[in-house]
Amino acid sequence: MQTQEAIRPSITDKPRQNYLTNGYTIKSWLLTKDHKRIAIMYLISVSAFFMMGGLYAAAIRLELLTPASDLLESGTYNKVFTQHGILMIFFFLIPSIPAVLGNFLIPLMIGAKDLALPRINLLSLYIYWIGGGLVLFALMQGGVDTGWTFYAPYSTTFSNTYVMLVGLGIFVNGFSSILTGLNFIVTIHTMRAPGMTWFRLPLFVWAHYATSLVMILGTPVIAITILLLALERAGGIGIFDPAIGGDPILFQHLFWFYSHPAVYIMILPGMGVISELISNFSRKKIFGYEFIAFSSIAIAVFGFLVWGHHMFVSGQSMYAGLVFSFLTMVVAVPSAIKMFNWAATLYKGSISFDTPMLYAIGFLGLFLIGGLTGLFLGAMGLTVHLTDTYFVVAHFHYVMVGGQVIAYLGGIHYWWPKMTGKMYSEFWGKISAMLVFIGFNLTFFPQFILGYIGMPRRYASYPEEMQVLNIFSTAGASVLGVGLVMPLIYLGKSLINGKPAGDNPWMLPGLEWRTQSPPPTENFDVMPVVTWEAYEFGEENGLDLEAARRRDREMASDFQKN
Amino acid sequence: MATHVGEHNDHGHAHAPGLQHQFEDMKQQEESVSIGMWMFLVQEIMFFGGLFTAYLVFRSKYPMAFAVGSNHLDAFWGGLNTLVLIVSSLTMALTVYYAQKGNRNMQVILILLTMFFGAVFLGVKAIEYTDKWNHGTVPITGLNKVVREGHGDSHASKPIEFSIGPKAYAAEAAGGEEHAYVNPRGEFQWNDYDLIEKKVAEQKADPNAYILTTDEKNGYFSYGELDRDKFRDKVRIFYWIYFVMTGLHALHMVVGLGLMTWLGWMAFRNTYSAEYYMPVEMSGLYWHFVDIVWIFLFPLLYLLGRHFIAGGH
Repeated sequence: MQTQEAIRPSITDKPRQNYLTNGYTIKSWLLTKDHKRIAIMYLISVSAFFMMGGLYAAAIRLELLTPASDLLESGTYNKVFTQHGILMIFFFLIPSIPAVLGNFLIPLMIGAKDLALPRINLLSLYIYWIGGGLVLFALMQGGVDTGWTFYAPYSTTFSNTYVMLVGLGIFVNGFSSILTGLNFIVTIHTMRAPGMTWFRLPLFVWAHYATSLVMILGTPVIAITILLLALERAGGIGIFDPAIGGDPILFQHLFWFYSHPAVYIMILPGMGVISELISNFSRKKIFGYEFIAFSSIAIAVFGFLVWGHHMFVSGQSMYAGLVFSFLTMVVAVPSAIKMFNWAATLYKGSISFDTPMLYAIGFLGLFLIGGLTGLFLGAMGLTVHLTDTYFVVAHFHYVMVGGQVIAYLGGIHYWWPKMTGKMYSEFWGKISAMLVFIGFNLTFFPQFILGYIGMPRRYASYPEEMQVLNIFSTAGASVLGVGLVMPLIYLGKSLINGKPAGDNPWMLPGLEWRTQSPPPTENFDVMPVVTWEAYEFGEENGLDLEAARRRDREMASDFQKN
Repeated sequence: MATHVGEHNDHGHAHAPGLQHQFEDMKQQEESVSIGMWMFLVQEIMFFGGLFTAYLVFRSKYPMAFAVGSNHLDAFWGGLNTLVLIVSSLTMALTVYYAQKGNRNMQVILILLTMFFGAVFLGVKAIEYTDKWNHGTVPITGLNKVVREGHGDSHASKPIEFSIGPKAYAAEAAGGEEHAYVNPRGEFQWNDYDLIEKKVAEQKADPNAYILTTDEKNGYFSYGELDRDKFRDKVRIFYWIYFVMTGLHALHMVVGLGLMTWLGWMAFRNTYSAEYYMPVEMSGLYWHFVDIVWIFLFPLLYLLGRHFIAGGH
């Protein structure tokens, strides 16, 4: 049995070599095969793309402050929302949790020295940079105005912007996602430490397994679709051109065959993070482990069968619409199972409200709203009224931002002490979590109402009676912006003068907490042997609850002093 | 051999050839590499799957245009290439066998043979593409041979009947009437309307029979009469799909040849043995996958329309 000392070696030990101190040259970073260093490089890259996407969002909200199209003219506005979408979806949301947290943590959580294919992992980062570079280059040339969906025939025939270049960037970037998914699947299959059975895996790992399935099965389809689109644009002839008997609806089918499962790439890893946070900050074994694990797989499977619900009003067969509508209701069930299990985990748990847990609780509320409004949009009658309005915009921002971004931030705060060995300011962390929650709701809740009363998406101007709600939304966006910039400051500051976090600051049983912070390059000094179930908080596991409570009290008094 | 390695394992597994640091032993490494390769092939299937879907959609919309277009592909060259690829799969499989035996010379010979067959395949493809270029059946304007003035020399004007062979077009030139073939802008050309005219006549004789699909009834006609330009556009879609599918397949062959060059060099340096042969096996999986894609492409593209000539529906 593990002892208290084994779990939490004294902080006063002299610092040993870790992955950050193993080489300081630029070469030692750029040519590293260490999953942790690659994750850190991903962290920096996706943060940069997130900020760029955020600036575009700011431009959108400023333009919509007034009913007239005054700050941006309509053509520019089209480019701005397109680029906001492309940067946020392909270069932030999709790689965010898998490539940063998944990359860093999966080997630690299953007790491996590295991912199974470290060179492929580095390759995926370089592909991501090349794809991102191509898109940035296209943006500097003048950008693209098709919307992130690239609907044909506008994108193939009429748009006079850099569709090819952006398409190429997304095509290239797709392979980064495929290789990451491939690597995770292999790693989870073959690299588990002795005793780490499938049902002892943390749910974070299960969520990433499901995500990886979607990445491998879906991404190649968008790759071929974008390739067909580019060839059609280059050759002046192709299968999406209705003028010669081609089929633009086929483009939408192929596009959404990837892009609907892609929204599960953008939420499943977030659900994985939330499972960790809810269980660990309730200090209680998660309720319904198998149900949460298999609901992730179910989401990945059913997610491939519902793409048609993006096309209810675009001319697909009504009978297909009926089936897609039904399956859309079905795919909501596994998400609901997760929600109920998280709620049941909280019940009678010993809940502590550290910063990551604030994000997790925020997630529960926001994802609930985002998910349920998805059912409104999946209902065939109502969707005719709501399609292409701000209701849709609000719905997917509740899922993508309220779900994935919030989970990502929660995860970053939760594993920050493990990644850097430093503790950030809990006070500022809590303030920022609150600001994000308030700002987010203020931004996007009015958009539900705006959409319901008929404000269409993707227009730079709107009727004057809609201005009040738009002002609320823009005001909320500024609060949200402040909340999102704050972590940059206090997390950055913690690197300079943060308190040493210790190996297991939250007193948790997971394998990643049983190695030093930051972890050594090979992750574990000796190959760990797993003898406990996931989320087991028993004292025999070395997790002295008294010590944990003592720690909570210290934290609370620190908080008051601040 | 195996016991020999077993002895070494007593000192720790770092001595095993080709074992990477993140793995505990060769078995774990082999399993990982193998699962990884299969996952890669799964994504390849999905990649080509998008194309096959596009093919299926348009084939079911415009079956006659696809049949006519398909009849102008030369099944001789397609069949030859199928044979070449099947033989190359055999040499590849034998390479894996001899890698496991650690037989360096046989590995190198077989890899060179595999590369030879791969090159033959690409050569035949080049002949076929040139043929399309000469006959004005490349769907993209400007990528066909520019003919400012000319006389009835071979071009796509009649179906190749059942005479399977490279002389198919010549047979048509002997019996067919002389057209002045002019293509000043290198556009897509089409002159074979025999089959569709026959089917249109059949459909008109019996309006209730299921001879043309709804999409064809909408897509080929102007004012109730067969519109040759509209029909040509659908044949052009077939050729566009043909070029994208075979082009991407050929690109995979080129990648495969690069892989074989590297593999041949490694085999020449005697890298592979009974303990360490995964790179050979994985390259083999890739090679077989590319072959199998062709096994699907060949009937779908080349053999598809033949039975319409014999009067089938």
